[in-house]
Amino acid sequence: MRTNPDARGLLDIAAATFRTDVLPHVAPEARYAALMVANALEIAQRELTGLDASGHAMLAALALLYGEDAYDDLGGNDLRHRVEALQHRLCIEIAAGDFDHDGQDTLLDSLEAIVKARLAILNPKAAG
Amino acid sequence: MHVVSASDQPPRSLLADDNRGRLEGWLAGQAGASRVTVTEDGRLGGGAISLNLAVTLDIDGGPLAGRHACVLRAEGGGRISASIGKLREFVVLRAAFAAGVAAPEPLFACDDPAVLGPDFYIMRRAEGLGAGHAITRSEAPQADLARELGRQLGRLHRVTPDTPGLDRLAEAPECPAQETLAQFRAWLGDLGRRDPVLAWGLRWMEVNAPLPGAVVLCHRDFRTGNYLVKDGALTAILDWEFAGFSDPMEDLGWFCARSWRFRRPDREAGGIADRADFYAGYEETSGRRVDPARVAYWETAAYLRWAAIAVEQGRRHTSGAEPSLELALTGRMLPEIEMDMLRHLRSIGGLSATSAVGSAIDKVA
Repeated sequence: MRTNPDARGLLDIAAATFRTDVLPHVAPEARYAALMVANALEIAQRELTGLDASGHAMLAALALLYGEDAYDDLGGNDLRHRVEALQHRLCIEIAAGDFDHDGQDTLLDSLEAIVKARLAILNPKAAG
Repeated sequence: MHVVSASDQPPRSLLADDNRGRLEGWLAGQAGASRVTVTEDGRLGGGAISLNLAVTLDIDGGPLAGRHACVLRAEGGGRISASIGKLREFVVLRAAFAAGVAAPEPLFACDDPAVLGPDFYIMRRAEGLGAGHAITRSEAPQADLARELGRQLGRLHRVTPDTPGLDRLAEAPECPAQETLAQFRAWLGDLGRRDPVLAWGLRWMEVNAPLPGAVVLCHRDFRTGNYLVKDGALTAILDWEFAGFSDPMEDLGWFCARSWRFRRPDREAGGIADRADFYAGYEETSGRRVDPARVAYWETAAYLRWAAIAVEQGRRHTSGAEPSLELALTGRMLPEIEMDMLRHLRSIGGLSATSAVGSAIDKVA
């Protein structure tokens, strides 16, 4: 049923065309809005292609604390649910004071890796 | 100030048709004038939450006779939890102006829905450049500007809950840290139990909460991007809509947070200079010493507060209440804010749970 180009293909060419053919000609008063449009299109592009990779990176980050497998075979909703469940567990442990005295370094490593995985989609430059 | 003539939001005709006439009549009464003419000069930026309209008032007769370049600031469509409403903002502006702070002089406030609909007030318009990226473009550090901003904040912090005219504001908190923490938990809601970075920030604030100390009038959005500069000198401090009573170190932590350093993350005081310049100016006028451990505490709070505001801005879009690309993208900023918070927590690594509390006790003892 799928028509080519698919959603991803359309988004890629739309974002590229907007950057090269539209943005340079936008009047100054609309430039801020135009830059926001370009930014939003690019976030959507990265999310369409990179959501599972980001999810796996988050699982690997949580594995620093829980020592679980990377669940390489998970994808889509299963992957998302797995990440959410582990994050929820970590929230409960944090709130209960489990990291008040020990394990803060590992916790910070894990939290940083989780945020970096999300930044890879949102703003790769800020992940560095 | 940047005049915005196009926006992603439909233009609101606040002064269309009868509104202008009603406003002019109301102003004439307020100013004791025989006649007031209002000319609209365009919409101003910085209106993510409020609606800012540049206006010129021509006043005939009365003590304010003459021409005045002003800003009309009206309640926007969606107020967020942290904002205090236009009439309280007016009261704060009056107190700050009276304390010698470079706030735009507030002139008139109106809560009569028959005039324009929403609450609004009118203040003098200041000139200068406000955008954070432009302010932080300078190659050389702007030590004088940072020092002057410190002096301004010091003056504001001499305003205490006993100052007359501030009864409209929420009561001064007994323990600003505990109160702030409770507020953040309420604002973040379920997200504080789903996002481990936010959960850790909240836990850190709880464990490290300093004992209550001085409580003063805080601006609560005192940062690069919210003041105007002309020829390198400060002309006005803007955006008072989050003001309230709190620990004075809260404003210093907010000002120095990474989120507001724009082009110069290496310049810890608002992307313009070193902390030492800003702190020195503050100590000149405030009558108190800067407590770096407390500032560090409130800088953590700053990231959580900005995170909560960003999430709420995003929800204004996703709920359908106020479809806006700017709000949608603000909601998406959360991981960036969280990364800044984690970098901050790393950088103060020595300030573990016990040492922060210890230093707070030392200060009080």
